[in-house]
Order: sequence, then structure tokens, then C-alpha cells
Amino acid sequence: MTRLNPEFAEEMKHFGEDTALACFNCGTCAAICPLLYEHFPRKMIRYIQIGAKDRILQNAQELWKCLHCGLCTQTCPREANPGEILLGLKRMVVDHWRKS
Amino acid sequence: MYHPRDIIEIIAGNIRNTRNPFGIPQALVNRWWVKSQIPKQGDALLFTGLMYQFIPYIEKSTGYLAKYENTGLAGTLRFARYVPSYLSGLGLAMLTSGREKKKFNRILTDIVRILQASGADFYYDPDLDRYSGVLLYDLGDQDGFVAHARWVANRLQKAGVKKLITVDPHTTYAVKELFPKYTGITFEVSSYMEKIHVTATNGTWKVALHDPCFYGRYLGLSDVPARALSRLGIECAEVENAGAFTHCCGGPAESISPKLSAEVGERRLKQLKATGAPIVAMCPICLGNLRKLGAEVADLSTVIADTLQ
Repeated sequence: MTRLNPEFAEEMKHFGEDTALACFNCGTCAAICPLLYEHFPRKMIRYIQIGAKDRILQNAQELWKCLHCGLCTQTCPREANPGEILLGLKRMVVDHWRKS
Repeated sequence: MYHPRDIIEIIAGNIRNTRNPFGIPQALVNRWWVKSQIPKQGDALLFTGLMYQFIPYIEKSTGYLAKYENTGLAGTLRFARYVPSYLSGLGLAMLTSGREKKKFNRILTDIVRILQASGADFYYDPDLDRYSGVLLYDLGDQDGFVAHARWVANRLQKAGVKKLITVDPHTTYAVKELFPKYTGITFEVSSYMEKIHVTATNGTWKVALHDPCFYGRYLGLSDVPARALSRLGIECAEVENAGAFTHCCGGPAESISPKLSAEVGERRLKQLKATGAPIVAMCPICLGNLRKLGAEVADLSTVIADTLQ
């Protein structure tokens, strides 16, 4: 069972990320990402939207597969900046690891 | 794939202790300038950010990572952070071949020759030329990046530096975009490519120019090298995925997963090879990663410097 945290999107602002809620899950980012088979980065953005912080922490290592190449940000029709969202998630996870 | 936490803590510890991600003392890693005739005074500081100097060490260390990825030994990496930085750095420096170091140092001396031939007003001070910390930023160690970036920016500011000439896309992005945002200190930053003003009529050939992500998208500088090459009679072949839509070389994943890095790089290499033209890179990470895959790749500076002879 996944516990949902409605404040999670707000919490992410502390890590420089405040655009995840703009995403309407069109999948352009997942289609253009060099990690085609990973459903990247849409899955992680969806987890922020529904407040599934635990799910992100369980799959945290996957975040570092992101090459920070910026193709998703270049093509996002909502200008939700998926590449920077993933960078914000990396910051959140590093902070969590160091505190735990 | 290695656990990102192990990689991050090793790199962060090395940067805290030695100011570079490999723990190698500055005097050992930055020696390209020793026999060069570079002005000690001028308008803009040549700021290499040490990225080209690091490539032989990156190749050596990621070679070991590739060997043990997904094996039982991969987990032992977590203990590496307890090895003193200077000790592991000296070890890596001794294991890395001098020939490889010279090869990448030549790129920097070529850049100096190009800037001098272009009449650029610049100088070099090896003590001010430090690693920007951009890898910590990319890996998500924001606190570590900001602390290091402040140290670098403060040193430059105290020395009265106002203008920087950079040589690679990652350092350019760090000092141009990230330093003002996270340290509050702004410099006038130009890539050396923007300073190239040389012409030649002796060449009419084509190259396959690989745009790095940071020039193509983050900094929007793709047209600059193409124009410089065009003035030398060198045409850029049409590469599938270029400019703002350029394809990653896979390099940024090389420490976390050499396997993934190679997979992405192979895809890019196929696109570049399809042109049939010699491949040219302008980023040390791209250059190192594409070469690692067996491709013959020249640096932009080498191609331009060769036309000066």
C-alpha cells in the first residue's frame, strides 16, 4: 500500500521544484527521453502530483539514470520543465538520505 | 548500476577535502600551462574549470566502474568514502598514463593558440582556475555545490576577476547561469568559441559536429562553432538530432552506470557515423565518452588549431 502525502508538491518547493502540477501527463517527455524504456520522467512527475513520496523514495536510484540532457524540458508543451523536476527530486532524495 | 549515494558521497567528500572530485592535488591535475607562453595579465581570465584535465582520470576510474558494475564487488564501493581523499587521488593519478594526460593538455594549448591568433585579450592564473563543482549540482548535492561554488566565486571576486573565458559547456553553464543564481556573484562569461576570429581558405572539407546538450539546449551556442568552422572552409554535415534537439552522448551517466552510458552513447555514435564525415566534439565529457566507444573523435580546438599551421 502506498501512503499519499498531499503536502508533497508543496514540500518540493524547498528543493527548487514548483512546476510538477503543471504537467498534464501527455507523455512527450517519456517519448523523447533517451531512456525510452523507462517511462521516464513522466512516472516520477505523476508520483509528485499524487503525493506518492514513499514510492519515489523506494525507486530513488532510478532518478540518477536521468542524464540531465534537457530534451524533455525542450519539448514539454506545458513548459513544466521535467528535467528540473527530476533534479529537484534528486535534491530531495539526497537530503533524505543524509538525514536518515 | 552503482548506488548513487555511494558515488555522491565519494565525490562530495573529495571536493570538500581537495576541491576536485577525484581527490587529486591541484598541482598534479593542472599542469598543462607549465611549458606554455600564456600572458599573466589581460582583460579576461581563461577559466578551464579543469574539465579537460580530468578526462584521463575519468576514463581510468570509469574503466574500473565498468569492470565491476553489476558484480558482487560493486557493493564494496560504499567503503571507498572512508579512504582519505588525497590517498585515493594520488593512487588514481599514478595509475593514469602520462600520454593520456598530455593528449588532453594539448587541447588546452591549442585553445590558447586559437585565442592568440584571434587577438583575444586574456590571461591565465593556475591558482584561480578551479573546478566549478557542476557535477555536485547535476547529482543533486545542492548544499555541496553551493558551498564549493561560493568558494570558487569568492576567490575570483577577491582577485578582481570580472570576465571569464571558458572552454567547455559544463563549466560555462556553471559560471554563467548557476554562479549568479546560487552565489550572488556574476561574471561576464564567454566561451572561447565566441572569441574565435580566424579565417583560412585552404580547407574545403566536412565534419560531423556533435552538439553537446549544454551548448545546444541550455546555452543556445550551437551556431557559434559552425560559423567559426565555416570561416575556415569547413562545412558541418547534417547530423540527425542537432542544435536544440541534439542527442546526449551518454557521458553524464558514466559514474552511476557505465552500461547505460555506453547504451545511450552507441545510439548517438550511430547518428554521427551515418554522415560519413570525421566526428568532432566540443565537450570533454562527450569527447571522452564517444572515444571510449571506439570512435575516432577530434576536439573542435584541434581541428581549428591545425588550420593555423
